[in-house]
Amino acid sequence: MKKILIANRGEIAVRVIRACRDMGIATVAIYSECDRAALHVRLADEAWPVGPSAPRESYLRIDAIIDAAKKSGADAVHPGYGFLAENEDFAAACRDAGLVFIGPSPEAITLMGSKTAARQAAIKAGVPVVPGTEEPLSEQTSDADVLKVAEGIGYPLMLKAVAGGGGKGMRMVSSPAELPASLRAARSEAQSAFGDGAVYLERRILAPRHIEVQLLGDHYGTVLPFVERECSIQRRHQKVIEESPSLSVSPELRRRMTAAAAAVAKTVGYTNAGTIEFLLDSDGSFYFLEMNTRLQVEHPITEMVTGVDLVQWQIRIARGEPLTLDPESLLTPKAHAIECRIYAEDPETGFMPSPGRIQGLRVPHGPGVRDDSGAYEGGEVPIFYDPMISKLITWGETRDHAIARMRRALAEYQVRGIRTTIPFFQWILEDEDFKAARFDTTFIDRKWGAPGSSPLQSRDPAHEELAVIAAAIHMFTRSIATTVAAGEPVSIWKQAGRAEARR
Amino acid sequence: MNLEIAVGNGVRAVSVTRKGALLHVSVDGRTTVVDARRVGEMELSLLVAPDDGSAPVRGVDASLAAQRTSGDFDVHVAGRTIPVQVRLAGSFGRQKTAGAAQGTGPQRITAPMPGKIVRVLVKPGDEVKARQGLVVVEAMKMENELRAARDGRVRDVAVTEGPSVDAGALLLVVE
Repeated sequence: MKKILIANRGEIAVRVIRACRDMGIATVAIYSECDRAALHVRLADEAWPVGPSAPRESYLRIDAIIDAAKKSGADAVHPGYGFLAENEDFAAACRDAGLVFIGPSPEAITLMGSKTAARQAAIKAGVPVVPGTEEPLSEQTSDADVLKVAEGIGYPLMLKAVAGGGGKGMRMVSSPAELPASLRAARSEAQSAFGDGAVYLERRILAPRHIEVQLLGDHYGTVLPFVERECSIQRRHQKVIEESPSLSVSPELRRRMTAAAAAVAKTVGYTNAGTIEFLLDSDGSFYFLEMNTRLQVEHPITEMVTGVDLVQWQIRIARGEPLTLDPESLLTPKAHAIECRIYAEDPETGFMPSPGRIQGLRVPHGPGVRDDSGAYEGGEVPIFYDPMISKLITWGETRDHAIARMRRALAEYQVRGIRTTIPFFQWILEDEDFKAARFDTTFIDRKWGAPGSSPLQSRDPAHEELAVIAAAIHMFTRSIATTVAAGEPVSIWKQAGRAEARR
Repeated sequence: MNLEIAVGNGVRAVSVTRKGALLHVSVDGRTTVVDARRVGEMELSLLVAPDDGSAPVRGVDASLAAQRTSGDFDVHVAGRTIPVQVRLAGSFGRQKTAGAAQGTGPQRITAPMPGKIVRVLVKPGDEVKARQGLVVVEAMKMENELRAARDGRVRDVAVTEGPSVDAGALLLVVE
């Protein structure tokens, strides 16, 4: 394997390019119109255009990407996550074109990509699943029929897209009256996100934790599980903070969960990197939720506590190497790691997307800090794609140490010109329940936007005073610098307008 | 230089004067002594005096990001991001009493970012409650519901479902 095409953009494309460079492998980036100057294009050895900005016309165009791979002479393709990472047609198209797809087989993607088929695989492996429908409910299934099925499962229940992931096409339904509207919304979201409007129903486990197990499988039948990741801090069913290990998983429970995860993967002959997601009930019982047949967004925390480079191992497995990692060390976390997903969204206006130009960027550094980012000063955050611009990861000797470092790093992090979720993380990290690891998947829904609470508005007056002083000094020193030679002061507003037009 | 700076829920009267190498910044009559260095086009290193008379020693790293309206900034300071609006002295008094800040007058609902109008949830003449959804805009793969800031009646709906709009485009008016 001499040259790898990365069929993705943003921070994950940058992450894969770095792994390739560490291994002395050449890299090929692809880009849409608006991404011509994106960081992944700037860092790769080669870059090929694949179409207009809309994902459907570029990063989801299998033919254009295969064409770029052939023209560039790449011998393998890394899909990253999102876009075509869990698309069996893409994996098959790579194979047909003589390219190594760095991921599982198209067959494994098909099988585990169907949430209902994946549940059956888990049952076959002897792993408990959340009670729910075993067959998908197609778009043609009438409301009346869905209501009948729902009656058998009981409320509250979860409505999920069969092709789902990332919280899209997912709704909680607490009564029969809510079902028709939620069904419509979930189907429409699933249709636009995955091109498949089929859904299924699952009983809602109240106040569960979301725990997942990273796996690597080679082509010789070895499947190795890693120490769990705790992903319960979610907003709109999307993870926002992850950590490893989980304080709610004892070494004994870790043995059972990781063994169950490996059993599911072995049942389907799984290869390369994948993740089994579980719901952990408050009584310690756990249920198989789904399998993600790709590298996860939150893979760095596993890397931090095990010292394993997961992307490098994806490549090594794909080129036929056997897994030579020590299974015991993968289950023995070295201290603690935590990740915050930094989104270009404004938490003060209901997490409204905040695309635009990054006027200034200061990235935190120092002991125990890792920033996986696709952003740079002067770069644009386009409106077309997922708003995650970077992942901030910290490592500490203890959980408290990792959190302290995260707070320090967030305070240093400045993304100027657009709004980000950094203040939202500062709010979470100051929460007493979070600090004590007392939470479940309802944490943010319960705490954020609870009646009477608007946590970001109640700012420290001392900070406001400093902001006022800084703004005043900025205007004052700039107006002096731009006073004309004749001694006639030019309107600071006119000057400010010109300075902004120049930027 | 005399300024008015809106921050949080209030407007501060601010003046800046140079005294030798130091700046004296008065905020609502309270003066802070500052040793200021510009370290970038929009970045300042400040050493701030904790009290009157003592030397400026408290380090404050501040940087600003200009917003769409001239004089509006996000100030990054002490690990926080704080929006401020800077105006010449006297300008706010008039503006603030004009209505918008008092929570009266028509609400102009505009697109906060470029995106596609997915759903229009109200029609002209509809009575709406505070926080009621008005229109759904899709951007960055997420659907975002724009809501009424307070109770009112929908006067105009300027958009239909389907087309894309630019940031700042008027979507509807609630009075």
